[in-house]
Amino acid sequence: MRPFEYFAPTSLQEAIDVLRQRGDGGRPLAGGTDLVVQMKEGVLRFPYPEYVVSLRRLPELKGMDFSEATGLRLGAGATFAEVAESPVVRERYPIIAEGASIVGSVQTMNMATVGGNLCNAAPSADIAPPLLACEATARIAGPSGQRTVPLDEFFVGPGETVLRPGELLVEVLVPPPPPRTGGAYRRHTPRKQMDIAVVGVAALVTLGPSTSSGQADGGAFQRVRLALGAVAPTPVRARNAEARLEGRPASDEAIAGAAAIAHDEAKPISDVRGSAAFRRHLVGVMTERLLKEAVARARR
Amino acid sequence: MAKETITRQEYRVVGKAVTRIDAAGKVTGKTVYADDMHLPRLLHAKLVMAPYAHARIKSIDSAKARRLPGVEAVVTAADLPPHRKNPSNRREVLLAEDEVLFYGQPVAAVLASDPHVAEEARDLVRVEYEELPPVVDPVAAMAEDSPLARSPVSEVDRTEEKGHIATGVEQREEQGKPSNIASEMSFKRGDLEEGFAGADAVVEGTWWSGMVHQSYIEPHVTIADYDATGELSIWTSTQAPFYIRDEVSEILEIPETKVRVTATEVGGGFGGKIFLYETLVAALAMVVRRPVKLTMSRKEDILAATPAPQAVVELKTGMKADGTLTALQARLIYDSGAFPGAPMLPGCLIIGGYYKCANLGIQGYEVLTNKVSVGALRAPGAHNATFAIESAVDMMARKLGLDPLEVRLKNAVEKGDPLPSGQPYPAIGLKECLQAISETAVWNERRDSRKHPNRPDGHPPARGVGLAVGGWLGGLQPASATVGLNGDGTINVIVGAADITGTNTSFAQIAAEELNVPMSMVNVTTGDTKTAPYAGMSAGSKTTFTVGRAVKLAADEARRQILEIAGHRLETAPDDLEMKDGVVRIKGSTDKTLTFGRIGHMSTGFAARYAPVVGTGTITARRQAPGFTVQIAEVEVDPDTGEVTLLRYAIAQDAGFAINPLSVEGQMQGGASQGLGIALSEEMVYDDKGRLLNPNFLDYRLPTTRDLPPIEAIIVEVPSEDGPYGARIVGEPSIVAGAAVIANAVADAAGVRVYDAPITPERVLRAMGKIKE
Repeated sequence: MRPFEYFAPTSLQEAIDVLRQRGDGGRPLAGGTDLVVQMKEGVLRFPYPEYVVSLRRLPELKGMDFSEATGLRLGAGATFAEVAESPVVRERYPIIAEGASIVGSVQTMNMATVGGNLCNAAPSADIAPPLLACEATARIAGPSGQRTVPLDEFFVGPGETVLRPGELLVEVLVPPPPPRTGGAYRRHTPRKQMDIAVVGVAALVTLGPSTSSGQADGGAFQRVRLALGAVAPTPVRARNAEARLEGRPASDEAIAGAAAIAHDEAKPISDVRGSAAFRRHLVGVMTERLLKEAVARARR
Repeated sequence: MAKETITRQEYRVVGKAVTRIDAAGKVTGKTVYADDMHLPRLLHAKLVMAPYAHARIKSIDSAKARRLPGVEAVVTAADLPPHRKNPSNRREVLLAEDEVLFYGQPVAAVLASDPHVAEEARDLVRVEYEELPPVVDPVAAMAEDSPLARSPVSEVDRTEEKGHIATGVEQREEQGKPSNIASEMSFKRGDLEEGFAGADAVVEGTWWSGMVHQSYIEPHVTIADYDATGELSIWTSTQAPFYIRDEVSEILEIPETKVRVTATEVGGGFGGKIFLYETLVAALAMVVRRPVKLTMSRKEDILAATPAPQAVVELKTGMKADGTLTALQARLIYDSGAFPGAPMLPGCLIIGGYYKCANLGIQGYEVLTNKVSVGALRAPGAHNATFAIESAVDMMARKLGLDPLEVRLKNAVEKGDPLPSGQPYPAIGLKECLQAISETAVWNERRDSRKHPNRPDGHPPARGVGLAVGGWLGGLQPASATVGLNGDGTINVIVGAADITGTNTSFAQIAAEELNVPMSMVNVTTGDTKTAPYAGMSAGSKTTFTVGRAVKLAADEARRQILEIAGHRLETAPDDLEMKDGVVRIKGSTDKTLTFGRIGHMSTGFAARYAPVVGTGTITARRQAPGFTVQIAEVEVDPDTGEVTLLRYAIAQDAGFAINPLSVEGQMQGGASQGLGIALSEEMVYDDKGRLLNPNFLDYRLPTTRDLPPIEAIIVEVPSEDGPYGARIVGEPSIVAGAAVIANAVADAAGVRVYDAPITPERVLRAMGKIKE
């Protein structure tokens, strides 16, 4: 690892000031599970940082809270361990808890943060598909003030986001889940832990009211959100598959049809973790399984 | 369910499960490894590694790197001291001189007092290359019109390979027209045509197994110091201190009296820590006249150590309706990488070495490509060959409607049966291992495996059970040891073998057993090459089998000397004496006694009456004690994702006599785990330009604890003729069977045969026809 300057500001404003005053060539550091490894290995998408700004002491980025009215606020500095163990996230947003609970090892989860995972912008980022499916928004702060961006518009390409120089992701806001909503996230990995998604699928469905005709499984898809990881340059929504389901009865046939659309909608590449054909196949299989699971949870 | 061929009550210490004597240091982090060591004026080396698989070096510009503050030297091939240079021996090509032969090959070394500075300077060295066509695929490389991976090969050094397996067979080195085939060999027996004509089922296939890495936790670390008097000292994480001494001495032309190699604690070897950059580091120390340390990063280690080869095995076998194996025809192609030394010969012996078969034809090829050259990995070459033969046996059994375990029992080799080379087997326990597996729950419940209820998520389950044989012949090398009595009556054992598996604990057991003392009275030290009695490399599973015999002899000699002194003091014949817990007494007497402490004092103190008690044991080993294993798995296959989940696993292995059953079980479980990594997830992936795509432990996937079920270890004991107390080789056989076990279990579960290992979800889906592109 080559030498670099290290800053440890204690407020958001101070961090933004450091980045503004020092200018280009700096990198914010959250948990370090991506950045430090990349710096050690010398595999960076950007020039080797001249300076690093630790975000670990910024109170504005810490923690999470929930209210029925406004939903969930996840601080960018919330660790995966905190998110995965949070009772409210587990109960109200199991889809997010599932994304947070499978990242790396226990040691990784104790360090890695929601903001770091999003800003590293790997196509395989595990927290991204659940948050995309939940239609989260990103609150960003920078030298020219604050702004809010739908997470769907946050990712630009592998390792690239809409963050402008000197800007930091502060928090992610997730709307409250409507009644009769269920969601789930799974990924395929060659190993059962310590791995990176070959394909990730998040499904969030809201069902309409049950029909009174005694159909136990009654209800149509009122709203469907499907998000895919590791099958495009960024984590993406599968909008065609979503559109296919909305308004239709929540049947296995409809789900199979949507899975086939998602299969065609994915644009994976071949790499050392799997061929494009394999990934595409998995998108179909996993979308079908995840939608069924989301429906089952919505009915509970 | 160990076969009781030995009454354990005969023994006091051996045969008992004991905690390793080095355990406390390991678990508390106090053990000192090579990278923990520091010397005054130490310089750190970083290697400039070639970014091409095949290229010509046009120029090296190190001016900028040299100018970086803290950099002491940048060394290229031209700067090295004079040394022996055989271009076909990787150990003599210290730095690439003209032609780069593999991606990651060291081209220059940067030396600085700070490792980070060395790393920064490394990136400032400018090397200009001219790319040459890379040869990547070993099968394509065999074609007459293939480009050559390198200048033609001559004078192949096979010393290292022979440390692992004693074969008594010579390979033919290729002569004449230059080709990528470094060597080839063949075995023939009987008449193949007749054999196939007499078969009721014939199975043919091509099995491929990928390149894998030993994946020791500790990457290679070496420190060398060349002092003003011309003494060379090397501290290195190695399994083979004497071998390194001999080689370094020869290559650098320094007498063996002036080379001291200290094998530091090895953080995992598995055959990959025999010999790597020790000569280079020594040469660097000679250039700068300061101590030099080279610590490989994980990435560097995966790129440029000595992993295990990929192999293509074409196999055709025939079987009669009654299960008799009638013919076996095989062609094995081992990808050696850029230098010769692939374990093709052991593969050829193993593929025809499990079963009696009247008609054999086996051909082996060792092919050069532009990849890092390969070395040993726990039973080198055996898993590639086993994947083929053990898949084929299952396929024939299935075709003929025969029980796969019964078929194996019917054909399994026994004492006296010939290997493909004609050499007869000594006592072996393959049948006994098959018997042991036939008594496991996973085997006996195999028919219920298919009937289990659906999984909770409702996906269609596909469960099945598969088994396979694995075996290894083992290495042979002389060994020696000393056992001495200290002044206080405790016992010192000194050996020259690096302890990589708990062998020093077993030596303590052996010495304690022979002297009838508790283990706590015995200390075992591995000396360096200047002080220790000679031992061969700790490889080929032979350390306990060979050095253990030397320790036993040395302890017996020390016992004789103790009794002689005691007999003189107690005025009786040594035969009338007995010893227990460090006390010698006249048989049956309670007052006529003499403690080891007294005897120690009388043989070491001022004006002592007796000479010191030092027993020396020396042996040469000429007959192997092959080890067999049978392994069985129950798996679940997800037919939609191709995922294979291991549910249950058992291994039976013949240890001859388990001196420390705890260590033996650990070796069995560890080796089986490595075999399962090879079976399911481990693979070094190269692109078509010969660049390694996954030099890290994220994308080179070792199984984690959650990927493996508990592994039931069943120790079988069929005593060997020569090993101490009947012990035979233990370390290696357990890695051999994994890929075949899983392939057979997947075939049982999902009805498809996978011919490529690792058996990844994608390969399972392709075998099922679910992915076609």
